[in-house]
Amino acid sequence: MLSQTIWWGSNVLEGCLLVRGASSRLIFRYPVFYTYLLLVLLQSPIRFAAYHWHRDTWYSPVYWTTEFLGLAMGCLVVFEIYRVALAAYPGTAKMARNVLLFLFVLALAQCGAALWRDPHLLWETTPLQMERALRTVEAIAMVALVTVFASYSIPFGRNLRGILLGYGLFIGERVICLTFVPVAGEDFWFYAYSASYLVALSLWLAHLWSDQAIPEAENAQLERDYQRIARVTQRRLQEARESLVKGLHL
Amino acid sequence: MIEFASAIAGTALLLLLAAAVLKGWLASHSLGPGSAANEDDESEPCPEEFVNRVFSRSDWEFVRGLKASGVEGLFERERKRVAQVWVRQTSAMVRKVMHEHAQAARQSKNLEFSTEINIFGQFLMLMGVCGILSTAIQIAGPLSLGGLAHFAQRLSRRLSELQESLQAGGPANTAEARSA
Repeated sequence: MLSQTIWWGSNVLEGCLLVRGASSRLIFRYPVFYTYLLLVLLQSPIRFAAYHWHRDTWYSPVYWTTEFLGLAMGCLVVFEIYRVALAAYPGTAKMARNVLLFLFVLALAQCGAALWRDPHLLWETTPLQMERALRTVEAIAMVALVTVFASYSIPFGRNLRGILLGYGLFIGERVICLTFVPVAGEDFWFYAYSASYLVALSLWLAHLWSDQAIPEAENAQLERDYQRIARVTQRRLQEARESLVKGLHL
Repeated sequence: MIEFASAIAGTALLLLLAAAVLKGWLASHSLGPGSAANEDDESEPCPEEFVNRVFSRSDWEFVRGLKASGVEGLFERERKRVAQVWVRQTSAMVRKVMHEHAQAARQSKNLEFSTEINIFGQFLMLMGVCGILSTAIQIAGPLSLGGLAHFAQRLSRRLSELQESLQAGGPANTAEARSA
């Protein structure tokens, strides 16, 4: 019964979001996000059909294919958040790119090391474990992105803030649930796993009801001067470090 | 192991989002005319003589010479309070400097990753020193902390000078570029 409620609730909210997005023309500002919603909405009838008519043969491959498609599209949503939020801030965008690149290389190295230790790991990994690993990388990337946004005080409009909050909440909850959700059976974590998306959808609906502009960037004139500022900064920081060393020997 | 890392990553993301929401909510509810003025007051650096006095032992020795335990207690409490105010001011000033730097740097197309990391490291170190100083004042009192306080003061002043030169250098360079 609870599963049914969550399932129907999610579909209704997704439908509302898409209708509101089309009427407020937000789908043109955030095309990837709305494509993601459409994809998730289409997942339901496809999975239902596979479950109803070919439960034993088709349901599992259909489920995991659509799940990983959703995951890949979710990564593109993160990229859209990055692209829209930092369009007016090339400095912060560069910083975010470097941080994300570093994390990506770190994840690849970790993956390579695990495969080196156990060459059969890939074949022994269940789709659930695979999803958990990928969602964890996504969560870490989002932590890095939110930290960069906060460090540089990037202003968000209501719409983008909603997308970020909702998706972040969804990923955070999902990663935690995937850690504890059982392979078979339905316990608290199973329902929490399903309900996490419902919470995200409610947040999105509240924040994306109408189109609201992102606050403008200020002080655009400073952008040319960073090279010179950086040289002065490095020299002064060197002096500060020297003063620190002297201070410690007082 | 991966289960543990996943749970940590998920929790960190949720906590970070909660902190961001809380910060935004607090900022939107405390933007009265008085709060900006208070922040300006807090970010004013203390004169070095003031810091010398707060952390020097000469006043303490004078008070101890009076041989009045009530005055000694009062002196210690007051000094501790003044020292905590100074640490809070220093910390607020460092945060303000970092905030201004971030606002200038975020629009630079040629921003350098390593330089930013360096500045961020300095900021973290200063905030760490302020945190340790605050705890140490609370535990040991300001009189035993003279050396550390001088060090923090010099470091924050250096960062403040750096920020001033950063702001002065910006428009000057733009003018140079225009005249060229």
